[in-house]
Amino acid sequence: MTAPILEVRGLVKRYARGLFRRRETFRLEADLTMHDSSIVGVMGPNGSGKTTLFELITGSNVPSAGSVRVMGRNIHDVKYAERDRLAIHYHQSYQVRHFRRTRPSFLMRPAGHDYPMVHLFDEPQFNTRDGYIGFMLDFFLRLKSEGRLVFVCLHPNEPYHLELMEEVCERFVFVLAGRVRESPDFRSLLREPDVRTYLGRLAPVHAA
Amino acid sequence: MALFEARGIHKRFGHQVVLERIDLGFESGQLSGIMGPNGAGKTTCFNVLTGQYKPDRGQVVLAGEDITGLAPNTIARKGIARSFQIMSLFDEYSALENLLIALPEVRERGFTMMNRLDSDSAAADRASTVLARVGLAGRERQRAGDLAYGERRALEIGVALAAEPRLLFLDEPTSGLSAKAIAGLAELVQGLKRDYSIVVIEHDMQFLFGLADTISVIHWGQVIASGAPEALRENKWVRRSMLGGKA
Repeated sequence: MTAPILEVRGLVKRYARGLFRRRETFRLEADLTMHDSSIVGVMGPNGSGKTTLFELITGSNVPSAGSVRVMGRNIHDVKYAERDRLAIHYHQSYQVRHFRRTRPSFLMRPAGHDYPMVHLFDEPQFNTRDGYIGFMLDFFLRLKSEGRLVFVCLHPNEPYHLELMEEVCERFVFVLAGRVRESPDFRSLLREPDVRTYLGRLAPVHAA
Repeated sequence: MALFEARGIHKRFGHQVVLERIDLGFESGQLSGIMGPNGAGKTTCFNVLTGQYKPDRGQVVLAGEDITGLAPNTIARKGIARSFQIMSLFDEYSALENLLIALPEVRERGFTMMNRLDSDSAAADRASTVLARVGLAGRERQRAGDLAYGERRALEIGVALAAEPRLLFLDEPTSGLSAKAIAGLAELVQGLKRDYSIVVIEHDMQFLFGLADTISVIHWGQVIASGAPEALRENKWVRRSMLGGKA
């Protein structure tokens, strides 16, 4: 059987403070499996763990427990310089390629791919005034048509953010206080009380 | 075969990958546009295509000849001319002198001939012709530093044309120009299209939509869309932006 494009299993990232009595300040937990190419919309309040999740998927952050497999390869076992050949994190306009080195690279595995299979767009700068938004959406669709997995993380503050998420995304993930959960479709996502609270005035009345 | 091709260009600066698998083709006799938002990688792309930077991977091909990694002056001698986003004129020299210095025959003669530029009537005639071509007839004796910003931009294009290039690259030609000067520049470039193969790198979408035969859109260091302006303009979000983002 072919390996899923992305398999996040029992992933935990803990942040703690204190020298002798460690006190947990933030905890992210995630379990996700994406077998097929798709465009996944990701939403959640600031500080909920969206960027941390993306960092863990691309291997630029080290998990406290669990694993991330891209095309069957544990991303944290892949050579640092080749991790961006499997999964890539675009933070606004730039690409994040800083990796915390915990082991010698020569003991690690090659990526086995030349161009990333998972593309994670972290709050891309969508602006209706310049029209580039349309080309970005077309790019996401092209990546999907090439058999890749695309994550688009948005922090909606305009109605059109929800409109374009509904237009291109097929799967939806909501991140709240370190908990990562999937919704089967856009309508179901908008019916969830936590999501409606998060969206505030943007939450459509008809979806309630 | 395209006059100029970029095949699988990849460029990295430290941790930052600025260009990733860039494929471009510019046809002879056409105006090709490259556009993208700020920070998209357009100028780096321009610098790789014109030889300022060597790509980490990929090929740059001019009329079937691999010119990847050649020095910028070697590439220029093969018929690639470029103008810069930041102007590079000699402000103390007149418009005519700036043109004269750029003529290939004058450059070959070098410094010893520089003091006798005015006495070379053939070169002066050629320089005047180019000046007229870029709309600066009558400005020959004016110091470049005293020209209006839009005229300086035109002069810089003239300097690039003086080398009689096979392909002219213009980097962000509308940068810093007023709406009126942009309209004048569009008219100038429209006129040049008849005789030159041109590549314009530009963030101003409307400017390119009005001039280009084909456009490649660069973002995140990659070509995210390409096609004829009419086709790109059909995009729902582009149409919306033309209506002020309100549709």
